[in-house]
Parts: sequence; C-alpha cells; structure tokens
Amino acid sequence: MLTLKLALRTLARRKGRMILIGSLVAFGTFLVVFGTTVASSASRASRESIIRNFTGDFIVYSERSRDLPSPFAFNTPLPAIRDSAAVEAALAAMPEVEAYAPYAQNYGLIQAERAGKKLELPFIFYAVDPATYPQVFENAKMEEGAFFAEGTRGVAISRFQNEQYAKNYGATLEVGEPLTLLGITEGGVNTARSSLSGIFSARRYKSVFDYINFMDSATYAQLYNYSGVKALPADLDAGLAAAAQDEAAVFGLADADFGSLDLGALESEALSGSTMIAVRLKAGADADKAMASLLAVPGLGVKAARWDEASGFYAQIAKALQGFIYLATALVFLVVALIFTNTLIINVTERTAEIGTMRAIGAERSFVRGIFLAEALVLNLAASLAAMAAAGVAIAAFGKGGLPLPETVSQFLIGGGPLELRASPLPFLQALAAVLLVSVLATIYPVRVAMSVTPLKAMAER
Amino acid sequence: MKVVELTDVHKHYMLGQTRVDALRGVSLGIEKGEFLAISGPSGSGKSTMLNMFGCIDAPTSGKVVIDGAEVEKLGDKELTRYRRTKIGFIFQSFNLIPVLSVYENIEFPLLLRRDLSAAGRKELVTRFVEEVGLGDRMRNKPNELSGGQRQRVAIARALVTGPAIVLADEPTANLDSETGVRIVELMRRINETEKTTFIFSTHDAHIRREARRVVSILDGRIVGDEGSEG
Repeated sequence: MLTLKLALRTLARRKGRMILIGSLVAFGTFLVVFGTTVASSASRASRESIIRNFTGDFIVYSERSRDLPSPFAFNTPLPAIRDSAAVEAALAAMPEVEAYAPYAQNYGLIQAERAGKKLELPFIFYAVDPATYPQVFENAKMEEGAFFAEGTRGVAISRFQNEQYAKNYGATLEVGEPLTLLGITEGGVNTARSSLSGIFSARRYKSVFDYINFMDSATYAQLYNYSGVKALPADLDAGLAAAAQDEAAVFGLADADFGSLDLGALESEALSGSTMIAVRLKAGADADKAMASLLAVPGLGVKAARWDEASGFYAQIAKALQGFIYLATALVFLVVALIFTNTLIINVTERTAEIGTMRAIGAERSFVRGIFLAEALVLNLAASLAAMAAAGVAIAAFGKGGLPLPETVSQFLIGGGPLELRASPLPFLQALAAVLLVSVLATIYPVRVAMSVTPLKAMAER
Repeated sequence: MKVVELTDVHKHYMLGQTRVDALRGVSLGIEKGEFLAISGPSGSGKSTMLNMFGCIDAPTSGKVVIDGAEVEKLGDKELTRYRRTKIGFIFQSFNLIPVLSVYENIEFPLLLRRDLSAAGRKELVTRFVEEVGLGDRMRNKPNELSGGQRQRVAIARALVTGPAIVLADEPTANLDSETGVRIVELMRRINETEKTTFIFSTHDAHIRREARRVVSILDGRIVGDEGSEG
C-alpha cells in the first residue's frame, strides 16, 4: 500500500515525463490490439476468400505433376487426373468432405461472327462441372443469363471480358448467342459448338476473375481430346495387367492375336480432363488429416496441396501483413523500453538522496525495487488499459461495416471490399503481456541502479 | 550504559589516486541519554564518525558497537533492520520525502517496521507532530513548509520509532541562526523528557554551546572531549 501510494504520487509529481512515456506505451498497446485484430481479421478473411474462390480447403491434383497446383497457371496446365471418377468416389466416402469440384484451366478462342466476318476472341477459362462447382466456389455473380445448367453445355464470360472484347475487337457477345470454340492441342486445333449461357461479374478478386471465364467440362474434354476406351477385350486387358506385374510378360503380349482386335467394337469414353479437384471440408474439419486419409486410398494417382500452398502469393500477403504488424509493434515496444529505461535512470539519479534517505531510515532494497516496479506497472498498465479501451472502441466502430481499405490493397489482401474486423480476446491478452514484459524488462537496470544506492547518499546530500 | 562505543577506528578511502584518512584511531564511548556535539572544521571527519554511529559506513579497521551489537558482523539486511529500530536520522538538508505530507513523512518509518496497528501509528505520529509544534500543518507537503518546519518534521520522524540514538548531521546548517537555536532547543528538550541519546555534528560555535558534551575532532583524530563524565 505504501509502495503504491509513493508510486502514484511520484508519477503525479512528474506528470510531463510520465505523460510522454504513457503516450508511447498507449501507442504500442493500440498497435498491438488494433493492428493484430486487423492482421488476424485480414488473415481470416484472406483464407476464407481464397478457399471460397480459388482452392477450397485443399486441391487434389495428379501425382505426375512436377508443380504445385495454381489456379492461375493457364498457359501451363497441370497433367490431367488419370481417374477423376475414382478420386471423386473416394472423396464422396469421406465424412468430413462438404463438397468437391473437379475443374481444369486452359485457354482457347471463341469464334463469333459479326457482319459476315469471323472474329476469334481469346479467352482463358475454368472448365467446370456446373453441378459441383457452385457448391465449392462462389466467385461468379450472374448479371445476365445463367451459369450453364447441370447436364447442359455452355460458356459464361465475365462482364469485364466482354468489355475488353468491345474495346479491342469492336464486338460484344450476347447471352444465348451460338459460339464456336477453338481448342489448341498438340495435334492441332479442335472445334466445338456451344453458346453463351450468361455474363457474370466477379464477387471477389476482380483482378483475377475479371479475366477468367467458364466452360462446361464435357465441351472441354471434347475440345482438348480427353477421351478413352471404355473397356478393352478381356484377354488383352489381362495381358496388360500381367505385364504390369511381371516384366517378362511384356514379351508374351507380342504373341497375342492383335489382328483380331475389332476397333469398331471398342466403345469410347469421355474423360473429364480435370487437372484439379477442389475440396471443401465441413466446419472444424482438419485439412491435413483429410488430405492424409485421401492419399491413403491406394491407386488414385494423386497428390494434394493445402489452400495456402495452392494459392501462390495470395496466401502470403496476409502473412506478410501480419509479420509487418508484429515487427512494427516489436520496434515500437523496443523504443518504448529504451526511452522508459532511460527515463527511469534519470528518475533514479534525481532521487538518489530520497532513496538513500529511505535506506537510512530502514527501507530494505526490496522496498526500493517495489517502488520503481510499482511506478512502471501503474503507469504502463494505466496507459495500456486506456489504449485497449480506445482500440476496443475503434474495432466496434468499424464493426460489421468493416474497415475501409484502398481497393488495390483490398483486392490482393482479401479479394476486395472493406475488411470485417472481428474482436477476440487474444490481441488484448498479447498487449497486456507485452506491456508487462516491457515494464519489467525496462525496469531491471534502473532498479539495479536504485538498489545500489547506499544510505551514505542521504548523508552526502547537502 | 554505553550505547555507542568506538575502539581504535580507522577509516580511509581513495579519492582518485589519493588516499584520504578520514578517521585515524578514534576511540569514543557515549552513554545513554547524552546530548553530544561532535565539532570540527569541514573535512575533519565529523560526518564519517556519524556514519559509523549510524551503521551506514563500516570502518577500515577497529570496532564499532552500537547498543551492544558489533556492526561489522551484521549483513546488509540486519544493518537495515538495526537502523530501522535503533537509530533515528536528522539530515542537514532535512531529506523529507517530497510526495508525502508531514503526517505521512513521520509515519513512514513506522510503516517500514510493520509491527504497529493503524491506531498505534496514529497515536504515535500525532504525539510527535504535537511535540514538534506542527499540529496545524499535518496535511502539508514539505515544499509548503519553511526550513525550520521541515527540520521539525525530520526530528519527529527520527524520534517516532523510539530509537536508542538520534544522529543529526549539521542539523542547523541550512537554517538561519535563530531557527537553528530553536531546533537545538527542541532537540535538547526532547533529550531531557524522552531520555533519547542525541549525537549531532556541528561547526557552529553557538550551537555547540547548547551541548552538554562536545567532542572535538581534527584531521580524523579526537583532539578534545569537554563535558565527558568518563
């Protein structure tokens, strides 16, 4: 009680200096609470945006792929998943899986006719299954027409893309318009008939989805030659299976009567051509565990990458912001600690006679330590509590309306729009811990100096 | 009964490269209830001797016994406790705690002892505030008092714990002569009524005359001891 009384009155007596220190501590605390809330909210919003727009919780892709999946690699698509149906069946059997959507990415041309002249309009696209894609992703908001319906064929383009066509080719596409699609493959250019089913605008990540369009996966498989044979004759199939087990059996295949293989009797099978399957998990499910249990299924021939591995630099932006805020906070607290230490040393020097007098009268060293610790804690806790209240008010003020961010920053960070701030107790506890730590650390040296003051200093005061 | 006994005490310290012999073989005994002045010019060793009595400095050699305890054998904590219970200090510059009121400054050493109830402390503090004539200034801070009033607070603070000895280092040096005389008269009155041992250093001849015993010191040696019963 005596220690606290002395601390409070000493702080009041040295108002100017203490207000300066208190302001710095308050600034640091505000930065911890508000900055960390912004960073964690941005991190959460970024994660949700990426998962809902690009990757799902994880992406399954071919084990033959040398690269990580990237939703933006249109010029170098990944190898197709060999048996997409088997992977989908395995995913369907997993209780933690909410939904999954096989898709591929590529580029092609849309051929449209205007005034008797054929225009070839380039476009990059996701080839998707309309039945599953909207269950995983919510990136397209239809403005005209509709997303192609389940079991139908069609193309949906972005409004921005259509505006670019108008700007660069002097033509826009109309909903319902028949189109010829051109797919460029190693064997040449394939064509497929389709129509423009709708025009959409991007809900988020306009800088990405303004340029991405959609095509149904059946048209895609046709356009890019994704087809196979439904079933081989039983003896050839058995021979191939044996050859897979035993190298010598490969030579046995040469003895088989291939001349009798009736090619006309073989039934073709359309393959999806999917290069990726995005998987959404139920709330609370662990992505790593789900990935491990999928990969434990034998014979799927796939690998899996978490959302943050598969989203390229987008996931790194929020982490970088978080790192920047932590670094800035650490620097502020370092400066606070240095200034505070310095001020306390000046205080000790100015109060040498007072400390010496207390020691002469019978105060123990621990009492002197208590006074300086109490001064540091009272000042810093008061300043940090005030700053926490201010940060709490600021967070509440932005509330659901969100913190407005410059659009460019927002697009890269969370896909656009204001950042919804969500308060949690953690930043407040972190701030409290930081202030306590700084108070104690900054006091160690000045307290040692104060405790070394002998009662002789009281006598020396003239 | 001797409350202070110095036997062949030497004290030297280094001032840069120069050795300063502050005390050179001082032996002195002080009886309980004495009112003793240590007199001498600046640098003669008065304050060093007082520091020995106050357990805030240790001799280079020799023996210092305060109220029966040999102080060289006590550790820092024991010395602190010893000062808290046995010794009262009055400083030349008063050395009051600036953020505490008159009442709180006097109460301060009692709070350090932690062996008295609030009521017990209040009774003692009130008694000594009245004793030094500051009953109407109890709530004032030191900076609201005159020099003489501050020294009265310091006297009350030194006496409130009932110490075996009260040490006063040049208690009148920062006061005008009239106030100085009144302060010494107050100390003497308390010495007579409370039987508290007072040891004070001074080089003021007028103040020295108030003492019943005057020990003169020069160049670290006792050169006179007037009024000693021994």
